[in-house]
Amino acid sequence: MRNFVRIALLGGVAALLAAAPVKAQDFSAKGFVDTYHAVRTEKLGDWMSSRTRVRGEFSLEKDGGGAFVSANLVYNALLKDRSGVQLREAYAYWGNSHWDIRAGKQIVSWGVADGLRVTDLISPMDYSEFLAQDYDDIRVPVGALRVKYLHDVWSLEAIAVPVSEFFVLPTDPANPWSVGTLPPEVRPDPIIKNMEYGSRLSFFLGGVDFSLMALRTWTKMPELQGNHIGYHRLTVVGGDVSVPFGNFVFRGELADNMDDHGNHQGNALAGLDWYPGADWNVSAQYNQTFGAGENSTLATLRVSKALLSNALTLSTFAYIDVRDGGVFNRLSADWAATDQIHALLGYDFFHAREGLFLRYAHNSEVWLKLKYSF
Amino acid sequence: MKKTILMAVLLVAALQVDAQSGRDIVERVKNRPDGDTRYAEMQLTLVKKNGNQRERKMVSWAMDEGKDTKKIMFFTYPGDVKGTGFLTWDYDQAGKEDDKWLYLPAMKKTRRISGSSSKTDYFMGTDFTYDDMGGRSVDDDTHKLLREEEKDGHKCWVVESVPVDSHEIYSKKLSWIRQDCDTAIYVEFYDKLNKLHRVMTVQDIQKVDGFWTVMKMKMENVQTGHSTLITVSAPKYDIKVDKSLFTVAKLEKGL
Repeated sequence: MRNFVRIALLGGVAALLAAAPVKAQDFSAKGFVDTYHAVRTEKLGDWMSSRTRVRGEFSLEKDGGGAFVSANLVYNALLKDRSGVQLREAYAYWGNSHWDIRAGKQIVSWGVADGLRVTDLISPMDYSEFLAQDYDDIRVPVGALRVKYLHDVWSLEAIAVPVSEFFVLPTDPANPWSVGTLPPEVRPDPIIKNMEYGSRLSFFLGGVDFSLMALRTWTKMPELQGNHIGYHRLTVVGGDVSVPFGNFVFRGELADNMDDHGNHQGNALAGLDWYPGADWNVSAQYNQTFGAGENSTLATLRVSKALLSNALTLSTFAYIDVRDGGVFNRLSADWAATDQIHALLGYDFFHAREGLFLRYAHNSEVWLKLKYSF
Repeated sequence: MKKTILMAVLLVAALQVDAQSGRDIVERVKNRPDGDTRYAEMQLTLVKKNGNQRERKMVSWAMDEGKDTKKIMFFTYPGDVKGTGFLTWDYDQAGKEDDKWLYLPAMKKTRRISGSSSKTDYFMGTDFTYDDMGGRSVDDDTHKLLREEEKDGHKCWVVESVPVDSHEIYSKKLSWIRQDCDTAIYVEFYDKLNKLHRVMTVQDIQKVDGFWTVMKMKMENVQTGHSTLITVSAPKYDIKVDKSLFTVAKLEKGL
């Protein structure tokens, strides 16, 4: 039924786009076809993932206003209920040199952290395959109204999310990334009182960028509340900063998360990007929560090198659970066979005796992805 | 008497030419009139030694603010990088780091990137560095006028430029600069071992809206056989462009 509604919605949008009296230059379309297959290394022959999809991204623009739609048509050989049409983003927008207004389903990305969440709390994560997906596939779009006022070196953004989205955790036993059976989920009632709203003031200056943010939101990761899983209200104030110096860029984020009982939890991140030249890129981050509740210490390390005039990119991205000694490391080689075709080969390595990655300690995998962009 | 005066005038003129230093010539190239604002579409063709080709297409706008320049560019082809944008605030002052941002549409995120290191990195897999694309400050090198000679039927200055910073990717470059249009039409880049590394050749230069414009240029890495051809189309000068085009907000809004 859900797929039927999505297909109908996409059909409607396509019909509208087709019927609208637009010129070719008002309309643009792009996308890709990719096929991804992963097999467990501990037990070769044990498929971890096998899926193929078509991504379409369409935009229609006229007189400063327009609409953007992106959707996936997916065939998942392992998880049949993940097959079908998945609407990613669908929003209308209008803007001029001072205003940018977007309404509809969209991915919201705040802050300067890479793969870690400190102030980037609006779009939750889809953990259907944990972190073993491209990061842009992990972000969950939210239905939101965003209004940005733009100045030369600063911008002020206000956002309202009438009905919040939450983390997607896989429970299907057929999914190697399943977290197991969960108690029933109780989401906040879809009433105005429960809406999510916030604001972000950003400055982009010579030699430094920084932002300040405030957000009335929800904890997005399900938590056990009696006999069900649910969420609680959170008020977050924080900021981020980026400072380039020489071959480096320092990034930092800081946030105070306060629940409605007045309990505070701090969340701080420091990161350093190094651009040594010759198409090397090294980036490290350290993230610590402190104060009320369970605290975590995470780090990330990314190293990438482009070779053969950018036709081949070798990279590694590691999440390190510093507190519990776990590691998830994604190694990959991305070869651009032509302008349109990329072939990627990768190895996802898990190591954990406890903590965040323990559940997936036996999920190390090799994977292959072919991608045709159009 | 007339003969003496004529000789004196010619001598003064000759002395003035001699007095023109390599730095003066490079500064002339840097300050060649190109309008206060500019727009161009570019096609970058990357050619492997075996003849295989890859393409990149982009559009760019630029605006001068005093001696500094702000630029914004977006990739339009191929599909996997379409929408990727670069914003650069280039500062003329030697040693002052440029401000640079990169927008990745798939991530919906703008990243501050290093303003200094990327100058000597190759631009998106081409054989041109960011510096070669025009952002290099005059005093990042010391310049010496070697001689004057004809190249491809045009009278040229030959200038040797040696980087002040020894960590640059070339040890020296020799530029043949056309005297009639203050444009380098042939440049040899030498590596750290003083071996010829790359050769840049301007294949087409035209006057557009009264401004000399390089329409086609090729950079060949003679050591690897890889080359890049840049073809410029639809260049426009002194167009009406709002300052707000050169901001992170515009970078995130896209084309």
